[in-house]
Amino acid sequence: MHFKFIIPAPKKGGLKINGGQMKIRIKSVNKILLLLFILFGVVSIASVVGAANISILNGIKIIASQIPIIDGLIDLSGIPDSHIFIILNIRLPRIILALLVGYGLSIVGVSFQGLLKNPMADPYVIGTSSGAALGAAIAILLKLNKTILGVGAVSIFAFIGALLATFIVYQLARVKSKVPVTTLLLAGIATGQFYTAIMSFIMVISSKDVTSIVFWTLGSFSSRGWNHVQIAILPIIIASIIIYIFSKDLNVLLLGEATAQNTGVNVEWVKRIILVTSAFITAFAVSVSGIIGFVGLIIPHIMRMLVGPDHRVLIPASGLMGGIFLIAADTLARTIIAPTEVPVGIITALSGGPFFIYLLRRTKKVI
Amino acid sequence: MQKSIKASNITFKYDEATIINNITFQIEKNSFITIIGPNGSGKSTLLKLLASNLKPQGGTIVLNDISLTQYSTKGLAMEMAVVPQDTAISYDFNVMDIVLMGRNPHIKRFSKETHHDLEKVKDAMVATNTWHLRDRSINEISGGERQRAIIAKAIAQESKVILLDEPTSSLDIHHQLEVLELLKSINKKQGVTIIAVLHDINLAARYSEEIILLHKGCLVTMGKTEEVLTVEALKKAYAMEMIIDRNPYTGSIQINPISLIKKSNQPQNKRIHLVCGGGTGKGLIQSLVEGGYVVTIGVVNRGDGDWEMASIYKLQMAEELPFSEIGEGTIEKAHRLADAADIIIMTDLPIGWGNLKNLDILYKQLKKGKKVYAFNNKNKFDYTGGKALKKLQLLKESGLIFIEDKEHMLHVLEASV
Repeated sequence: MHFKFIIPAPKKGGLKINGGQMKIRIKSVNKILLLLFILFGVVSIASVVGAANISILNGIKIIASQIPIIDGLIDLSGIPDSHIFIILNIRLPRIILALLVGYGLSIVGVSFQGLLKNPMADPYVIGTSSGAALGAAIAILLKLNKTILGVGAVSIFAFIGALLATFIVYQLARVKSKVPVTTLLLAGIATGQFYTAIMSFIMVISSKDVTSIVFWTLGSFSSRGWNHVQIAILPIIIASIIIYIFSKDLNVLLLGEATAQNTGVNVEWVKRIILVTSAFITAFAVSVSGIIGFVGLIIPHIMRMLVGPDHRVLIPASGLMGGIFLIAADTLARTIIAPTEVPVGIITALSGGPFFIYLLRRTKKVI
Repeated sequence: MQKSIKASNITFKYDEATIINNITFQIEKNSFITIIGPNGSGKSTLLKLLASNLKPQGGTIVLNDISLTQYSTKGLAMEMAVVPQDTAISYDFNVMDIVLMGRNPHIKRFSKETHHDLEKVKDAMVATNTWHLRDRSINEISGGERQRAIIAKAIAQESKVILLDEPTSSLDIHHQLEVLELLKSINKKQGVTIIAVLHDINLAARYSEEIILLHKGCLVTMGKTEEVLTVEALKKAYAMEMIIDRNPYTGSIQINPISLIKKSNQPQNKRIHLVCGGGTGKGLIQSLVEGGYVVTIGVVNRGDGDWEMASIYKLQMAEELPFSEIGEGTIEKAHRLADAADIIIMTDLPIGWGNLKNLDILYKQLKKGKKVYAFNNKNKFDYTGGKALKKLQLLKESGLIFIEDKEHMLHVLEASV
């Protein structure tokens, strides 16, 4: 399902390439629109699934009433206030947060896979998420509540942790200028497990509360509210735009670092920006939801099959699909054995683990 | 002619090993240059230095009067395109996407490719015969097609210099010629300077106007193809014996490898006279010469296999016209050569009326008390109706020593030194 350059053979009077180019745009725009449509559907369904019996139509009405311009057209009479409250203050922030985290992690997955030319790269596998969680745990242990430029200390520590973890794994896994699948997996798993162990230890001594360890190591959106959305929304969106700006460079980088350089890409500079920005997104995702694995691995692969490898389409498409996937996974997590909640990381690992094995088998030839 | 690239005293070390050792050269605009040399001579490294993928520890490289280090990445990409040795691409882009990436240095970060860009891409793809592949995945086309697509990308980049690292290494002979013809036509029609590392000296000789010959990181010689491809220069770089002549069909210089030069080529100061013919002595001549013996031959007929081999090594010979009986002057010369020799060897050549006199050479030397060896004849020996056999019997009685084969012979010689 690659999008194609459909360029008619040259006729007398010159070539007609513009028509073909328009088709590319329309096609990829169509795909993004389709994803947005699915996203809205998933948000609507996710907001009405649960203990309180709310109909889908009412759910859509309540959500639509929050959208500017059309809010005047929505009549909310007849819907119980409790339903409105549940959707707007309990379910919607949680859904938006899952959307943001899924979006962010998938984009990080795409950029890692492109940058390292390695299909197994993902913020969880290469230890960035564990580094972020460790940073966050240290901030919590030190009881740092200060904010710098509106950003909480927990997020800043998570960022530093993510950055260090990424840097260490990259240096460990690198063989000359390449990052082979095997060394990346080994370095990522070893360091990731190490950080997770330290983090769990810190959690035990600081809170004596084992459930919080489960939250951090398996990830959860349980009892997350608008304040968490507030922490994550701007950093994740701005950082994803920065990565999108470099999508063309990521395309050229797939030809190999030396060739990319000879084609006019300032490789070292692009690499640094992408790695730092990716660590930044991961840090914010982790500091609001814990370590959620495999999203950044599965989604880019599925989307590469659906929209092709061009990062200009792949990045937004993966972001949206990541959001859709994580909302669905979280909805499952909170309803599957209700009233008890399952950490969402369990759901993503259940679907991601087999997928990971499938990828490893398929790329074995490459290793 | 204007200079395109000037490299002055460039040196590159990897850890402690010196890969490129103080090389200086200049490349004129619009030339077709190949870099040749044996494995590990630093060819690819030199190309990477020119491409600015590696930075030299010493010396400077100047492109169009500006040092490579002064160029921005984009600026350099506008001047110079590179076709790497490894053209594998990680994900499934289609061919046109890849060629379009060549336009990257010309497209600003926040703008789309224009009609002009797409036209350039099309031109490059038509020129490289890849236009019909535009919608195919880069990983599902053949190696030759991918190589052409990558060259199309380099052409689309519109730079005046294209560097190529062994562009023909993974291709069959048809596609090798196809790629090199393509490069030649870009060089001629569009005035693009081509600098290619090639493994195959004969292809280099055929297509390039100038050659840079490297050996162990040093520049052996650089210049016009005819001037560089000399036995002396190539012998130094490749450590082998070769004949350089012209290909009768293409008219270009060609190198015919003959044998390896053994490193322990110690002069034995022993002279050996060889009586051979009909190609029976070829292998022995080679082994003896490489073993450091001074070898003389005769009598042999011109144009026969042994004569050719001896000519390659420029050995002293007593030679006779083809299919003629041995003349008086010739046999005398052969006797003189044999007189000067310490050891005389006869191969398992068949004896007919034409070369019967050769046996007299052996007889004379036996009488002088020299060691004379003969190979045990596995084929028919006598074509003279018994006369040759009689002579052989006489030789046996005079002390002729029989030897099983070449290996045995060399062993005996080694023992006697």
